[in-house]
Formats: sequence, C-alpha cells, structure tokens
Amino acid sequence: MKNKPLKKADIFIVLGVAALALLFIFLRGSKSERRIAVITVDSAVTDRIDLDEVKEKITIMPDTDPQVVIAAENGEIYFESSGCRDKICVKSGRLSKAGDIAVCLPAKTVVSITGSGPDAVTY
Amino acid sequence: MGKKRPVTIILALVCAAALASGAVYGALSKEYTGSFTAMDTYNTVKVRGADAKKALSSVSEITSELDTALLSRHSDTSAVNEINLNRGGRIPEELAPYLDTLFEVYEKSGGAFDFTLGTLTDLWGIGTENERVPSDDEIKKALALTGADKLDYTDGKIKFPEGISLDFGAAGKGIALDEIEKEFGREKISRAVVSLGGSIMLYGSGEFTVGIKDPRSAGYMAVLTLGDCFVSTSGNYERYFEKDGVRYHHILDPGTGYPVNSGLAGVTVIAPGGTLSDALSTACFVLGREKGETLCKEFGCEAVFVYEDGGVYATDGVKDSLEITDDYYRAEGVK
Repeated sequence: MKNKPLKKADIFIVLGVAALALLFIFLRGSKSERRIAVITVDSAVTDRIDLDEVKEKITIMPDTDPQVVIAAENGEIYFESSGCRDKICVKSGRLSKAGDIAVCLPAKTVVSITGSGPDAVTY
Repeated sequence: MGKKRPVTIILALVCAAALASGAVYGALSKEYTGSFTAMDTYNTVKVRGADAKKALSSVSEITSELDTALLSRHSDTSAVNEINLNRGGRIPEELAPYLDTLFEVYEKSGGAFDFTLGTLTDLWGIGTENERVPSDDEIKKALALTGADKLDYTDGKIKFPEGISLDFGAAGKGIALDEIEKEFGREKISRAVVSLGGSIMLYGSGEFTVGIKDPRSAGYMAVLTLGDCFVSTSGNYERYFEKDGVRYHHILDPGTGYPVNSGLAGVTVIAPGGTLSDALSTACFVLGREKGETLCKEFGCEAVFVYEDGGVYATDGVKDSLEITDDYYRAEGVK
C-alpha cells in the first residue's frame, strides 16, 4: 500500500491538464464578458455586432415593415428611427449593458445585448 | 489479478453511474428559451426541468388564449368585450378569483387602482392613432363613467350602467402569469423566468436577479436579488406622447382623469401573485411613495420607488436585496 513517488512524466501530465483547464476557464470567461448586440427580426437573428469593436457609427436597416433604422456607436446600440406609430422602440433609448433589450413590436424587431446580465428586466 | 477484478467492476459501475447521472442532470438542467408576442407586448421565457420544452409552448398558448378569449376588451371574441357590450354578464369561472383580487386592491387603494377606466383610456387614446389632450369637460364626463364601486357583482354575475367599460389592461399580464404558474405546478418544471412585457414570474428554488428598467435609457438602473415571486413595474417612460412640450403618459389618475404626476418615474412591486403585483404597482404609482408603501404592507408585499430626480426608495423587505448599478440614481430614506 506504499505510495509510489510521482514520476516526472506524471507531473507534466498533471500540469498540462491544469494549464488546459485554466485556459478553458479563461476563454469561457473572456467570451462571456464581450457585449454582443443581437438583432432579430421575426425571431430570426439577422445581425450580431460586437459593441466593443465598433469604432465609428454604423447603421443597420433590416428588412422590416415598418422600416426601422438601428445605429451602433461608442459601445451603444439603439433604434435611431422607426416607421411605427408609437415609437416605443426609439423612446427606449440606448442599450449598453448585457441584458439590455429594446423592441419594436410592429416591425417584429428585437435588439438585445448578450452576456452575463440579470435573469430578467422589469419595466 | 483475481483480487483486482471486483474493484475494477465497482469502478466501472461507479463511472457508468456518474456518466448516466451526468447525462440526466444535463438534460434536466438544460435551459430552454423562447420569445413570442401577445397582449401587445414582447414576452420571453427561460425554463428548466423535464417538461421544459413543452412548457415553452404552453406559456405562449396560455397567454394568447387568455388575451383573445377572456381579457382583451378589443378582441371581438373575448368575454370582457362581450360583458362590456351587454353592460354585464356572467364572469367566467377562471376569471373570478382574479376579479376578487382586483376588487380588493381597488377598495384598499381607495380607487387608485381601478379596472373600469376603459372610457377614460379611450378618450386619451395614448399609444393609438387617436391620442390627444381632451378638454376638462370631456374628462369630467368620462370620469363619471368610471369606478368599480358602480359595479354590481353578485353570485358570479356582474352588472353596470351604460358607458362603463371594464379594462384589465393593467392586470392582464399578471393574470396570465398566475395561470402559467398553475400550469407549471402540473408540469415537471424546476426553474423558470417568464417575462410578459416586463411583468415577471420567478419560479423554482434558488436566487434570481431582476433588473429594474432605467426610466432614462434602455438599460437597467438597479438589480434585485429575489427568491420565487412575481415582479411588476408601472412607469411613465414608455407609453406617452408630447404636446406643446408636455409629456402625457399612459397611467391615468382615477381621481383627476389626467396622467399621474407624483414625481415618480416608476414603481416596482414584489408580490406572491402576478395579478397582485400588477395591480399594486399601478396603485402605488398613483398613490405615491408614502400611501403606496402602506398599501403594500397591507398585502405583505415589497416595493421599490424610483423618483424622476434619481432618488430610489426601497421598502424594508427588499432594501438589502437592491443594488443600484447606475450612478445617476441614489438610495434615499423617506422623502
């Protein structure tokens, strides 16, 4: 029942597995911290925008009726204009944090930011 | 070699059991998510458990069915529309317990929550193509056609004078959440978060986090950590129109007939039921912080009051569960 001393190869294997585990955790962690804006139209994803990569203002005009114009700049994304009547989507303002969401019901368009946010937002 | 065999077999069995339990755990812990539109809002579902996949569809079915068959006063096929047209009728059995709750909130709030504002709401038309600022005289006339105290509700039947219009718009999503909770009780659901247009049901064990919408932007300004419960918010920042520089929002004061002007931007209520949380959040928004807090205490509920100037007041039961995440806002004591 005597414990056998660890061989060098065993130590390398253990260290290798530990390094891989740490790398995996780091990659998963860094992935979840990125703020990805997801645009869906009629439940289908049409655009994914890495908000941390947006340097200059970009505008997106998905194929919707009424037409909506979505803009991203300075790490934020928002409905810039909409042909809908109540403009609730435009009034929603700018999204910047994981969990933020803005919706244009008439255009069936949802803009949300993925990542680690709260389970839900009450409004 | 012979002595090692039982150990090898046991190890193999342990590994197999671990793999099998891992697979079962994986299946049960998998979160299913979905979204749908109903009740004129965008709704989301996150659900775990053996019946999670089935629950996704049952949530949207229950919500749509309740809206079109029971609650919407704009649906030709709904019970409420028929009752309004006939100035009364039999209250459907499934609606009766919720109507009892609404009557109770109406009475205890002194009419601050009123589910008979249909005529007044139509007059303002906020969020519709007919939105406008009515004259004082028009508002006075519409107010005369409101008030749940004018309803005669006995033996499951309701009667009321011509011109009154039942409107469950302020509590419809909460009623749907209560029905969804009943359905989850019949299914194998371990954990779920259902949001019907911002009215939320937190179902199952463990802690949940709920962001409170920032009245000034699309994000959230604070996060509540809660157990299983229902959370509703009433605010003046989403449905409104502006005329001559004045903002007219959709929460009307049953006392004045005008949009509420209490200095509050929003009130979030935490309650054991969806109908209750929906009705109380409207009542609290109308009543203001002091009376709203008293009302919540009567029902054993908690609330967070967000002022337009950035002040945030949480009742004792959620004070420690609230984390303000936006620098514009600050926790305050009693104003």
